[in-house]
Amino acid sequence: MKIMTCPINGPRPVSEFFYWGALREMPNPDTASDDEWAAYVFNKSGAPGVKKEWWCHTASNTWFIAERDTEKDLVLRTYLYGEGE
Amino acid sequence: MMSAAFNPVPVSPLADGLSSAVFVSGEEAANLAIADISLQPRFGCKGPGAISWLTAQGVPVPTAPNSACVLPQGKGRVLRLGVTEFLVEGDAALVASLAAAQRPSGVYPVLRQDACLLLSGRKLNALLLQSCNVNFAALDLSTSPVVLTSMVGVGVTVLPEEKNDVPCYRVWCDGSYGLYLWQTLCTIAEELGGGTVGAESLAVLL
Repeated sequence: MKIMTCPINGPRPVSEFFYWGALREMPNPDTASDDEWAAYVFNKSGAPGVKKEWWCHTASNTWFIAERDTEKDLVLRTYLYGEGE
Repeated sequence: MMSAAFNPVPVSPLADGLSSAVFVSGEEAANLAIADISLQPRFGCKGPGAISWLTAQGVPVPTAPNSACVLPQGKGRVLRLGVTEFLVEGDAALVASLAAAQRPSGVYPVLRQDACLLLSGRKLNALLLQSCNVNFAALDLSTSPVVLTSMVGVGVTVLPEEKNDVPCYRVWCDGSYGLYLWQTLCTIAEELGGGTVGAESLAVLL
């Protein structure tokens, strides 16, 4: 059983969570070039490596950020949005 | 306007057909007893101003997320769900006054239409092992933990307590899943030599 650690609820089986995509910085729509905006809207990085992702603990609806190494299939750390640094 | 103190619907009459409820007693109840306490009065609120507002209303606030504390005179409980969400249950007068009180900005009512089950008995841990991923036996009950997890596929809030060395757990879930949760837990309880009891017979635990 894979375990993920929710910042609020602690270690739980991964079946209690769902994944909501990579954490991506949105470029400023007023100043971004068309190429930058198109890259943000359409391009996703599928390369394996360390990713910051949105995850949710469904039983408590706790949204948080998980840093995950998708190459080694490891969860490196989890934290609430804005509390990672 | 929708009231935050909306009355929930009990689940056991739906399952038992109102008049044919089968209540166990004695040894079976000591093994494992499940009571439907969905009709307990409750109030929910959340938001960045919830802590200061509840304190101003005279409600004790648990200090840590996912923990609980007892209302004055032991009339009920306050659960802190996550960082800024609260569930108050038990004291009808307090619940009514909270629902009627003026809320400042930053305090939002949460409609609580939960089904609530009270589980008690010496074989309770065996039921939890079959239905849930959390090891409740490892919890330190002196810290009044509240566990939000998934039980037989249903998102639940669990408040584990102990009365006279017998585990006594409250389980809240969304009301629409109440009947399924009730029937599933009753099936497991019967296999473990327990069964359903009337809420009034567990009144001492409320």
